[in-house]
Amino acid sequence: MNAPAALDLADIPERIQSEVQRAIQRSIKGVEYIASSGPSLGSTPKDILHVRGTMNLYHYRPISDEIYRVPILIVMATTNRGYILDMVPGQSFIEFLLKRGYDVYMLDWTAPKPEEKSLRMEDYVLDFIPDCVRRVQRDSGETDVTVIGYCFGGVLSLLYGSIFADGPMKNLICFTTPVDFREMKLFQNFSDKRYFDVDRLIDSVGNVPPEMILSSFEMLRPASRAASQVQLWENIWNDEYVKSYRMFDRWATDTLPLAGEYFRQITKELMWDNKLYNDVMSVGGRPADISKITVPILHAVAEHDHIVPYDAAKPLIQKIGSTDKEEVMLKGGHVSLVAGANAIKRLWPKLDSWLGERST
Amino acid sequence: MADKSNDPVAMWQNMIGEMEKGFNSFANQAMASPEFSKVVNQVGGATAGAQKQLGDLMEKYLVSMNLPSRAQMVSMAERLQSIEGQLNEIKALLHQVHNNSGAPQGGYAAAPKPPRTKRPPPAGGEQK
Repeated sequence: MNAPAALDLADIPERIQSEVQRAIQRSIKGVEYIASSGPSLGSTPKDILHVRGTMNLYHYRPISDEIYRVPILIVMATTNRGYILDMVPGQSFIEFLLKRGYDVYMLDWTAPKPEEKSLRMEDYVLDFIPDCVRRVQRDSGETDVTVIGYCFGGVLSLLYGSIFADGPMKNLICFTTPVDFREMKLFQNFSDKRYFDVDRLIDSVGNVPPEMILSSFEMLRPASRAASQVQLWENIWNDEYVKSYRMFDRWATDTLPLAGEYFRQITKELMWDNKLYNDVMSVGGRPADISKITVPILHAVAEHDHIVPYDAAKPLIQKIGSTDKEEVMLKGGHVSLVAGANAIKRLWPKLDSWLGERST
Repeated sequence: MADKSNDPVAMWQNMIGEMEKGFNSFANQAMASPEFSKVVNQVGGATAGAQKQLGDLMEKYLVSMNLPSRAQMVSMAERLQSIEGQLNEIKALLHQVHNNSGAPQGGYAAAPKPPRTKRPPPAGGEQK
């Protein structure tokens, strides 16, 4: 192994000049940063097909001359906004799908209102998703629908697919979807049955406040927010870096509250009793066994996912009943798997090649 | 390619990265203990209860001052959202009726839906 070369003295003046220029730019851009708003997100043209309480169904306007027969319904995680999949032109998963000829719908969520605190898993799995699937069928004129679920949207899609195993779901794609909740070690510890009184919490607050959801995510990487702000200051002269930082920061802090009863069920049935992994999950009295799902499935997981560790996501492919099933592990974290430069070169092309041949 | 081993800026960035990793790893170990869970949940539970009581008290105070409470503002926002929702429904319905009729609107013909005939590119083929 070679010893590191000494710093070339001839480079020093050039380097100092570059750092001085960056320091000046930091001051100018720093003022701009404070004075300006971030980039406009989620701007791919779409029509709102249906709004009911916390549920929103969008249809993105096709931009290809011809599209695949089978439409896609994306089920977003209930804790976050769907625009993570539609950041800005050139960095939008939705735009990528439209350009590749898919017909795309999204089930996105808004903050549940105080009177929606009684929403339960049954509402999401037996009402909201089937309602959206029916509307997609009616709007597209097609019976088959591909469902894509991100994070907890994947869990809801799995529950839906296992209860409605006879159709109309034709393909299922899950991104970073946990099945074995014992393996979400830190969340397990935060919600330790001996100390976490979920009933008291829900009975006093109604819906779980977004600040609490955000804190629980941030506690998984407590130093990362401070470190990212230091990195922002260092790179504030770089417009592309700042734009990307603002997009992801805005999304990450734009957390949604969770309906109280729904959160109570997640805590008791998934975090404490691990019912999905133990094959005893039911929703509204209907068994939800993922081995009943037999449609083609692709599960994309991230190598460095700190929110859904691989051990929590791994059993999905092992347990699912499909014969056409594939797990793909890609570099990146929980968010960079689906959005940003990493996703553009890794996940999106993989998804297109897998889904295209299953969408005719 | 420039060597970064003696570059103070690169060294600083590397140090920040290592500190972040180290602190996260240390904190994760600490947070995995049952003691941490006990303390966090005791504090969190007490805070949630106190917030609820404070909210109730504040609401009474605002009523006595003849000012709208948060609940009333939220209720008003909900009504606005409901009106927006109904407008969206009307818009979607009009859109649907317009598409079904195929009638031109504002001098423009309705955009036809693209045919669902797309096939995947042949294996190894590039897609535009």
